[in-house]
Amino acid sequence: MKNTIKVERAILSLTQDDLAKKIGVSRQTINSIEANRYVPSTVLALKLSEVFKKPVNDFFKLSSDD
Amino acid sequence: MDLENQINCERKRFNKLLNFRLPHRFMTIGVVIVLLSIALMFVRAFVLEGDTLWLKQLLQKTMLVGMLVMSMSKDKIEDEMTHSLRAQSYAIAFVIGVVYALIMPYVEFGVSNVVHSGGEAFKDLGDFQVLLFMLMIQLMFYHNLKRYR
Repeated sequence: MKNTIKVERAILSLTQDDLAKKIGVSRQTINSIEANRYVPSTVLALKLSEVFKKPVNDFFKLSSDD
Repeated sequence: MDLENQINCERKRFNKLLNFRLPHRFMTIGVVIVLLSIALMFVRAFVLEGDTLWLKQLLQKTMLVGMLVMSMSKDKIEDEMTHSLRAQSYAIAFVIGVVYALIMPYVEFGVSNVVHSGGEAFKDLGDFQVLLFMLMIQLMFYHNLKRYR
């Protein structure tokens, strides 16, 4: 799974820490999601969608190996 | 209460039990208990005289309790990723603990017989040794998984 969370975060001028506080996780979790080391749950994906005001499909994409 | 409500009620209770964690301050309490136990083990071994086997067994138990408290305490920020890492560390500790309990008695037996001819007789591991090893592996793997996440 690929994601463009870093880009979405930059559009809103949010740091990893700001975004983490908004959705109630640690900064390291945001870092791991951005680096594709961790795939978040649906709940977390929907929380991100709420922050970015975009559907989940816009910033999460399936990759060829999924 | 109909059957469906009863099942839901049991499911909620079960989930509550599964998600039970001690508050973060218990990590410090656990560390203090473990360090005190280790310090008292040294005192018992080198200072106290007479039959203190009961104290040794008591300190082993308090050490295990301290490590269990450390293992069950929450992180400062608890989220779904820490839940997943904790679950992974428990799974790894379980598997390695079983392998250790199966193999280690043969290793101890073999080593003691190579070092001294006619060394120790074959004996299984005690519960303290296995539990201590499993808790150590769990805490170590959880710490490392968090570091490299």
